[in-house]
Amino acid sequence: MGRKILLVEDDRETASYLAKGLTQEGHSVEQATNGQDGLFRATDGSFDLIILDRMLPVLDGLSVLRALRAAHIETPVLILSALASVGDRIEGLECGSDDYLVKPFSFAELLARVNALLRRRESRVDPADHRLTVGDLEIDPLSRSVKRAGKKLDLKPREYLLLEYFARNEGRVVTRTMLLEQVWDYHFDPGTNVIDVHVSRLRRKLDEGFEKPLLHTVRGAGYMLAA
Amino acid sequence: MPTTLRIALLAGILALLSNLAVIGFIYERTHDEAVASLHRQVVEQSKVLTDVYRTGGKTALNEAIDDTLAYADPQTAVALISRDGGELEGNLATAPAVQSMQEGYHSAVIRLRGQPSPHLAEIVLSRLAGGEWLVSGRLVGEGLAFRATLERSLILALAVAGLLGLLCGVILAHYVSRRIGQIAAVANRISARDLSQRVPLSGAGDSFDRLGLQMNAMLDRISMLMEELRLLTDSLAHDLRSPVSRLRSAAQAAAQTSDPNEQEELLGSVVRNADSLIRILTTVLEISRSEALTGRNQFAWFDVRELAAELAEMYDPLADEQGAALRFERPDRAVPLFGHRQLLAQALSNLLENAIRYGSKGGEIDVRVQPGEKRIRIEVADRGPGIPLDRREEAVKRFGRLDSSRSDEGAGLGLALARSIAHLHDGELHLEDNRPGLRTSLEIPVHRQQAAR
Repeated sequence: MGRKILLVEDDRETASYLAKGLTQEGHSVEQATNGQDGLFRATDGSFDLIILDRMLPVLDGLSVLRALRAAHIETPVLILSALASVGDRIEGLECGSDDYLVKPFSFAELLARVNALLRRRESRVDPADHRLTVGDLEIDPLSRSVKRAGKKLDLKPREYLLLEYFARNEGRVVTRTMLLEQVWDYHFDPGTNVIDVHVSRLRRKLDEGFEKPLLHTVRGAGYMLAA
Repeated sequence: MPTTLRIALLAGILALLSNLAVIGFIYERTHDEAVASLHRQVVEQSKVLTDVYRTGGKTALNEAIDDTLAYADPQTAVALISRDGGELEGNLATAPAVQSMQEGYHSAVIRLRGQPSPHLAEIVLSRLAGGEWLVSGRLVGEGLAFRATLERSLILALAVAGLLGLLCGVILAHYVSRRIGQIAAVANRISARDLSQRVPLSGAGDSFDRLGLQMNAMLDRISMLMEELRLLTDSLAHDLRSPVSRLRSAAQAAAQTSDPNEQEELLGSVVRNADSLIRILTTVLEISRSEALTGRNQFAWFDVRELAAELAEMYDPLADEQGAALRFERPDRAVPLFGHRQLLAQALSNLLENAIRYGSKGGEIDVRVQPGEKRIRIEVADRGPGIPLDRREEAVKRFGRLDSSRSDEGAGLGLALARSIAHLHDGELHLEDNRPGLRTSLEIPVHRQQAAR
């Protein structure tokens, strides 16, 4: 399960904290402390993921990203940045990054996103129309139909999208902001628990009447779909 | 003051030059006038004398010459020379050689009787019927003398003009530097942090007054912005104080407790308070950026109807939980708008959250999109308590939270951010009475969009 991650971050404290956490998760982490070095290491294309700070010495993060994409290196990139405005996030995503995480962040949030990105890379080999199963839950992305223990669940379109996203990240923590970004495609920070309300509605339809719950709350991080 | 000196010198030099031009003109004209008048006198005198000769003969002429010499000024030169040049009447000291004489107007050097040196003169030579030569003319000395007097007075005039010019320059420089000095003094006092200073106006409505007016208007605007900034800083500091102090006490308590459950609880509170701090800062930053019109490069076409539908659907369960039914009146057609989709989504979500938070008791929340000729209106209306007219402006101000007892720190910024996002789109945020309840709406003008199309 261990993967190769390139961490380009000039702040030593953040870098060592991230490297330590990711190594504990079983990944091997290579570090670069400026943009040029990061670009140089990234160009061999052997990494599964690049975590890229935006404000870097010598060459800034977005320039590194543009250079990589121009060279057709499609390694998933997660941008870490203290530039937190909606415009900054859009700019980062438009430059070709796969995800954008605003500093400061919790390690749980970062880990959830890292795992989602690594997982996405894995699932690229699977055809998208493949049935998804989680325990006794069965999802058919083609007909958008959901069954649990053979019984058809009646989900609203957005509830279906939520569930499919959970299922594609089975066994991994999914945070609220990830849901807002991936399921709704909004990049602002809502001041209310609007996402939780959606998840709890989905949970009611999914788990009510069944002995074993599938959708779990992970304290301080988010949610997880697991059998 | 070198500037004053420069202005004075400049004015002096300009006065000198213009006087020089006038004086030069006068000099030219009077000089020509003097020469012409001399010429006229000489011709006239000669004509009178030849007429006398014609009517009265030589005897009458001799009398006339004597009369002329007796009564005329000493510059007059008259002589009658006999045919052979031997006899001479008149006041010439010597007779010119008759052989070389030609009739007509001449400039010649002659010496008058009783005078030590010869003079330049203008003369007319006439051959009389009896073969005599009549010499009649005037010494040019008279014209020269007049010219010399004129030159002297002109030089004097020039000196006076120069001095007067310099004086005018000094007065002018003094006036200008006094007016500018007033403005500069105000600027100086402002630099010394007294923004209440204003430029005094003379009331004459001149350029200085206009400059002063503009400067005063600029100062008014700066004062207003400073005041706004001060209020913002004050309220930011105030609003950050409580989460920071809560964070601090939770962290301290977590460090002191030995109960792991309590510790976890306290650390969770530390994180929550830190998060709310970050949220406040992010929102304040977002407001500043929108007000500075940053983000227009990310404008694109999108369908407002879909955006509103999506957000209404997103907030429906939350409203439901709060006991309100959220309704969206879907327009029949798409409503294209050129703008920042993400930021407008955030603005609308802020209006929705505001309505759900404060207006849910009314039981109904309506979301409407109204496409218009000139502007698109996105509206959220609740049936809650509403906001009294006199407190609406306060509600939209940054940190203008009406209910200060609430602990949700980010809430006070929601409407302020929605308004700055409206500004980013050249639009406005309106707060109106929904009779009962509050109706908030974003009005985005269409003209920009068409211009961009």
